[in-house]
Amino acid sequence: MSRRPPLSAYAAAALLLLAVAGPLLTPDDPDAGNLRERLLAPGSAGHPLGTDTQGRDVLSRLLVAAGPSLLGGLLPVVVATLAGGLLGIAAGLGGRTTENVLLRALDVLYAFPGVLLAITVATVLRPGLLATVVSLSVVLTPAVTRVAFTEVRRIRTAAFLEAARVSGAGAASVAVRQVAPVVAPVLLVYASSLVGLAVVYAAGLSFLGLGVPPPAAEWGAMLDELRPSLLTRPEVAVLPAVTILVVSVVFNCLGEALRRRAGGGHEVGRPPAVEAAR
Amino acid sequence: MRRYLLRRLLLAVPTLLGVTVVVFAAVALVPGDPVTAFLGPGAPAEARERLAERLGLGEPLPVRYGHWLWHALHGDLGVSVSAQRPVADLLGPALGQTLLLAGAAFLLVITGGTLLGALGAGRPEGRRARAGRAVSTLAVSAPQYSVALLLIAVFAVALRWFPAGGTRDLFTGGGPADQLHHLVLPAVAAALVPLGLTARVFGAALSSVLHSDLADGLRARGLRRAAVLRHCVHNASPALLTIGGLQLAYLLEGVVFVETLFAWPGVGRLLYDALTARDLPLVQGGVLLVAVAFVGVNIVVDTAHALVDPRLRGAL
Amino acid sequence: MSAPERLDVTGLTVTHGAVRAVDSVSLTVHPGEVLVLLGESGSGKSTLARTVLGLPGRTARVTGSVALSGTELPTLGERALADIRGRRIGYVPQDPDAALDPLRRIGAQLVEVLLRHRVADGRRAARRAVPGLLDAAGLTDPERAARAYPHELSGGQRQRAAIALALACGPGLLVADEPTTALDALVRARVLDLLTASGASVLLVTHDIGAARRVADRVAVMHAGRIVESGPVERLLTAPEHPHAAALVAARPGGPR
Repeated sequence: MSRRPPLSAYAAAALLLLAVAGPLLTPDDPDAGNLRERLLAPGSAGHPLGTDTQGRDVLSRLLVAAGPSLLGGLLPVVVATLAGGLLGIAAGLGGRTTENVLLRALDVLYAFPGVLLAITVATVLRPGLLATVVSLSVVLTPAVTRVAFTEVRRIRTAAFLEAARVSGAGAASVAVRQVAPVVAPVLLVYASSLVGLAVVYAAGLSFLGLGVPPPAAEWGAMLDELRPSLLTRPEVAVLPAVTILVVSVVFNCLGEALRRRAGGGHEVGRPPAVEAAR
Repeated sequence: MRRYLLRRLLLAVPTLLGVTVVVFAAVALVPGDPVTAFLGPGAPAEARERLAERLGLGEPLPVRYGHWLWHALHGDLGVSVSAQRPVADLLGPALGQTLLLAGAAFLLVITGGTLLGALGAGRPEGRRARAGRAVSTLAVSAPQYSVALLLIAVFAVALRWFPAGGTRDLFTGGGPADQLHHLVLPAVAAALVPLGLTARVFGAALSSVLHSDLADGLRARGLRRAAVLRHCVHNASPALLTIGGLQLAYLLEGVVFVETLFAWPGVGRLLYDALTARDLPLVQGGVLLVAVAFVGVNIVVDTAHALVDPRLRGAL
Repeated sequence: MSAPERLDVTGLTVTHGAVRAVDSVSLTVHPGEVLVLLGESGSGKSTLARTVLGLPGRTARVTGSVALSGTELPTLGERALADIRGRRIGYVPQDPDAALDPLRRIGAQLVEVLLRHRVADGRRAARRAVPGLLDAAGLTDPERAARAYPHELSGGQRQRAAIALALACGPGLLVADEPTTALDALVRARVLDLLTASGASVLLVTHDIGAARRVADRVAVMHAGRIVESGPVERLLTAPEHPHAAALVAARPGGPR
């Protein structure tokens, strides 16, 4: 555990810092347009990343957007981890009926491609951060539940659980004292691998007009706003797309690094020691 | 094998029913007056009455669901508000375009994924294998809309190698070569994420087979490298199929973004337009169609799985 | 079948990282002889057997000499070695479940080996030869076995199929790595007889004293990577000299574990 945190951890921390401090760092007013300065190229005076169709400073907007964009990805992961953890433990410790009902219901949700399920849920709600969080939580929860359930089932027969039961502890007490501490680290590692995906989904929903609505700055919404300028100012139009790509890569690398350290690590091949033992 | 297929089809029935319940419930739960939600505020009274009757608004929810399902089973998905045409008529031709795009992307996924995954599988800690894994992590992380925009910016706008969108050239085009030319960029954009996933899973599976007793047993028979590799790829292929369902999920959901950005007239593009216009019947129909297609595709994948692995045939 | 081969292993050392699995071992299998290599698990006997085939493992470093009737094997390239494996040296694995391709029919796997080593003249001839090979390996209803996938056979039948594969091209040396551990006592004896009935020289690796007593001409006892004692079977199993050999014989007074 004395190993240094991976590079991606620093990058992720920097991103989170940016999300909080973004509004303080803007070189220009992100909402103030200037019709004479529309679609300036990156590197123009006062606009290092150019301006959008309404002459607003793109760098400022990207910075202000960091908060809502990352929140739209992080919150659903938090909600899904809590909900999925509870459901998974309930399915694992409950009777056969609870288990069957929960797993069947999950199968139905699994039958939807993720974005479609999010779209279905988000159409019910008014566009906004809440719609993003609710719909993405619905999308992510089944996967988390399955991971939690698998983990509970793995330890369900383990001696300490039996011992806890025999000693007369109630189901709730067993869940809190014995199971949760085992399941939590596994879920944390899994959740970290979902953040990148969730940020991508959240921006996607805004792009489709289901998430944070304009004129508020959000990466997915900016993607949609700048899309018409793709043919005239491609170097500006791709900036939100590149931002989301970079964020996604950072969080995925972090998730991967955590998974490796948690010991799920060597997915490839067989460690040499096993071969030598033969 | 026939019995396997039959049982697999039967197993899909409850899943499909569940899918219809979710799609129906989502729209039934839209807050406010459903007639206004479906038709928009300015609809004539006659149309409003007809829809209210069709939806059976006086009836309890389960009855309404029954009616809706009955109509849907007969291909009647209602009338699009924005286009004023039956939803099924709009979805039919769009589905063809989506399948063309998804099929082309799937081809890329399988060939690219296996090649990238096989890269250095013999030495999983070697430099080539590491490079391969880095590329596939990057591919997995790349959102389809980001890739689509970057591809358009570079290959359509800057280099002018490929068209920026559409299915064919308005002036010269229409032939297969022209269609293919229009297909390249959207297919690549749709394929990248599932390609990375495939490469990861297949690479791990192939590597573990190559270092198994099976591979040593095959070498001990004197089989040449190519033959050993053939056996190992065959034995790693079930892993490829297992993730097949997941990849197709990515492809089918990715088309919403990819088709929108490339102006590709498929189901995804239709969904985007329907969402923008708040055209609920069209959204409902589109989501239902893709979800059902997804369940169907999964059946095909499972069947292929059983064809490859004789041990599975009796398992279900 | 080809004439029995002679195997000379001289000063062979195999290391996996810091572990010396085989430590300067020398032994000889004379033409037509059955040499049983006895040892506990982890004594390095499996590694020795696999090194003879040129399959010591990916991370292994090998020094010393392995000569098959005068041909020095470690210096051969992978291609030349592959020509010898299966053709001049047959290998019977410890676990036939892991060594038979689970996705191919038994018959097809035999045909592949026959064609690979050009033992059969064309695919049709190879197909015709399959039932005879399975029959010789003691499989009743060889036609059915040829059409079967490995998982459709019992453990004993699978091991017989693996032996049929090892013997298919009539090798002059048979290397068998604990071929009977997975089998029950009755099948075990029959499988052992099958190995020695082929007329090839045999290097049999096992921890089963009963197996040694049944088929061995000579026995070598391995411990911690070294051969601690070797000699004719009657002498070694009745009056072992080295303490480890004595312990091994005393612990399992004949017969299965």
